[in-house]
Amino acid sequence: MISLYWLQCGGCGGDTMSLLGTETPDVPTLMQSLGIDLLWHPSLSNLSPAGQEALLADLKSGARPLDVLVVEGAVVHGPAGTGLFDAPGGRPRKDLVAALAGQARFVVAIGTCASFGCFGVGGEIEATGLQFTQSKKGGFLGADFRSKSGLPVFNLAGCPCHHDVLGNVLLALAAGAKVELDELQRPVDWYGMTVHQGCMRNEYHEYRVEEEDFGEKGCLFFHKGCHGPLVGGTCNKTLWNQRSSKTRAGVPCFGCTNPGFPTPDPFFETRNIMGIPIELPMGINRAHYMVYKGMAAAAAPERLKKRITEV
Amino acid sequence: MSSTRKITDIPLNRVEGDLEVRVEHGDGVITDAWSAGILYRGFENLMIGRGPLDGLVMTPRICGICSTTHLMAAVRALDAIAGITPPDNAIRLRNIALMAEHVQSDVRQSVMMFMADFANPAHSRHSLFEQAQQRYTTMGGSSFIDVIRETKKMLEVVAMIGGQWPHSSYMVPGGIAFEPSQAHLLQCLQIVRGYRQWYERRVLGCSIERWLAVDSRAALDAWLEENGAQRESEVGFLLRFGREFGLDTIGRGNEAFMSCGSLDLPADTAVQASITSAPVQKRQLVAAGIVRHAAAEAFDGAKIAEDVSHAYYKKALGALHPFAGETQPHVTERGGDAYSWIKAPRYDGSAVETGPLAEAVIECRPLFLDFLAGPGASSLTRQLARLTRPATLLTVMETWLGECISTHGTPIIAGDGLVPDGQGVGLTQAARGALGHWVSIKNGKIAHYQIITPTAWNGSPRDEKGVRGAWEEALVGTPIADPGNPVEAGYVVRSFDPCLVCAVHTVKRTS
Repeated sequence: MISLYWLQCGGCGGDTMSLLGTETPDVPTLMQSLGIDLLWHPSLSNLSPAGQEALLADLKSGARPLDVLVVEGAVVHGPAGTGLFDAPGGRPRKDLVAALAGQARFVVAIGTCASFGCFGVGGEIEATGLQFTQSKKGGFLGADFRSKSGLPVFNLAGCPCHHDVLGNVLLALAAGAKVELDELQRPVDWYGMTVHQGCMRNEYHEYRVEEEDFGEKGCLFFHKGCHGPLVGGTCNKTLWNQRSSKTRAGVPCFGCTNPGFPTPDPFFETRNIMGIPIELPMGINRAHYMVYKGMAAAAAPERLKKRITEV
Repeated sequence: MSSTRKITDIPLNRVEGDLEVRVEHGDGVITDAWSAGILYRGFENLMIGRGPLDGLVMTPRICGICSTTHLMAAVRALDAIAGITPPDNAIRLRNIALMAEHVQSDVRQSVMMFMADFANPAHSRHSLFEQAQQRYTTMGGSSFIDVIRETKKMLEVVAMIGGQWPHSSYMVPGGIAFEPSQAHLLQCLQIVRGYRQWYERRVLGCSIERWLAVDSRAALDAWLEENGAQRESEVGFLLRFGREFGLDTIGRGNEAFMSCGSLDLPADTAVQASITSAPVQKRQLVAAGIVRHAAAEAFDGAKIAEDVSHAYYKKALGALHPFAGETQPHVTERGGDAYSWIKAPRYDGSAVETGPLAEAVIECRPLFLDFLAGPGASSLTRQLARLTRPATLLTVMETWLGECISTHGTPIIAGDGLVPDGQGVGLTQAARGALGHWVSIKNGKIAHYQIITPTAWNGSPRDEKGVRGAWEEALVGTPIADPGNPVEAGYVVRSFDPCLVCAVHTVKRTS
């Protein structure tokens, strides 16, 4: 059996809702086949308040071993470091995060709030992620934190986290497989490709056929603020709800797997200089990109310019 | 008797967020209640100064469980500011995704959050306890697992229209961002049909038409005895288990109901509004209205005000309309009168409840009017309204999908997608009740954003006159057999389908 405790901090519950949409395997099958003993989940458990208190006491003392701690939502420090903005029973929840993280074999941050702090960073709730504050390492638990297995926090970023990621990480842990992480501690299997890769509108980007008005077919990168080429994420490799992705539905990627999400700039707009976006696709040379895009636009085939292609 | 009264704090899970209810009880009965949202995160102040469309990205992320509803409220506020009516297919495709969110949420909440407690050891002497355990044990019961597997299929509809669920932003000013292919629309139709068949087989135990013919308490009793499929369905089990335990005798509340109306009808559609009698104000599937003490009134958004007398916010001069309201957290108010992060919205001075039961009452659905005329509202009636609401939505979803297919290729957006300076309100019904976004745009930026969620209505603290919020009121008089395992209080509160992550407002960015 793998014991799992799910702690919800300052968040919307969207990562749980997302997870329930996973398909291979679905959540009940996953739990059953891996022998996951779900000690507590705020939306899924049936434990009396007294039972919950007893469970927490046993976990904190180590009397009952904890294999996996999943944290959803940001760690709330405000106001003035007290944590009272998130304090069930008047007790700051961040203290519980620290106590359980110290006992768990593996610690998993699910969603961008738990990974990087997200909405509440710099605000009065003084939010941080578990081991990062935006892209700065440290966060709540500190840069040197290691769970009992000797590993740092796994950051399963995304707002919400794609539904297939957590199940896959649990499968890996159960199999004793190494989960390779990137510099932001995200599993490379799920964050090692851009959202742009696999986008049905790829060819429009290639030939710089742009969408200026909603409802047109075209690449959303040049005018609509799409972050697809700028961020890592599996959205167009492993579709959402088995069916689609935002970019496939004409909605720009907002870059929600990035530690800087949400950026202060307006969504649905691309900041640009002379019509060329300020932020260019990952790792690209600006001068080369401008020459390439100029030539590509000239070479664009009619079927794209006339948007005959179904996307 | 007062010497025997005790105060007990009850933390409640399976409510989507964090809730603590403090109850005073004596002789095994709750004598008073205080409901506290205990997490402050709110989003309103984070919106100030952002781009005019940013509410479409930020506000769905207030809530993982009703993100599509926040998107709908946000876009309706922008439509109002821009003065645009979206084309018919945009109206349909907005509505269909919202309805998909509702019909899965109603069943998930009923089975996974409310009925899950039927398997609680507190019921070990209930004649249906063994069956309840077999059906509703969390992560193991047959109904619990079945509901996870079936409801997620419905969310594929949202993904095909909007890209993903939760947290899409496909509704944009004047319409939607893209028209799904005909192939996707046909797949959506098939999913809705499949869900309807499952819902009829497992949840109702009969056809939707048969269920909608149940028009009184006597007809409900007859329906329950009619055959085994209906008795063994989720609705049948809810009624049988709930009556034996007495769920029909607790959670009455203040019997003041509100719906702000939802699901605009396209100009050209076969779908009729659910009621046609006065005081209907708009062509909407779900009617707006107020019912106080059995008297129906027209809904008027100008009569909404938020009171912060018992919330941890800086005190305004009396209750304020959401266009005038502010969100200024003030944690040092702890220890005084304040006990919640939820503000206390009031309609024309009244604490009201909102949700499927309120919709049913306002729409004059005979079964629910009969309950109110007889024993009154209860936790069981409220939950029955929720679990059977999909019966009023699923066939409409099929009709609208059919209309989208037959008119494929017609416009899905009007206007230029831009929003001028101005002020607008976006009202809609979430799965759990009335939701409003009050938005003001100045100099091309968001200048004001106030949100009132269903749980702010249902779970509000007292107001300055000391009037309790809806579920606080519903808790008073509830028996409580074991304060260490207070299932009765859980039923009363969960029958309102609380969503605390929505109800708590967020903090100002320090400048």
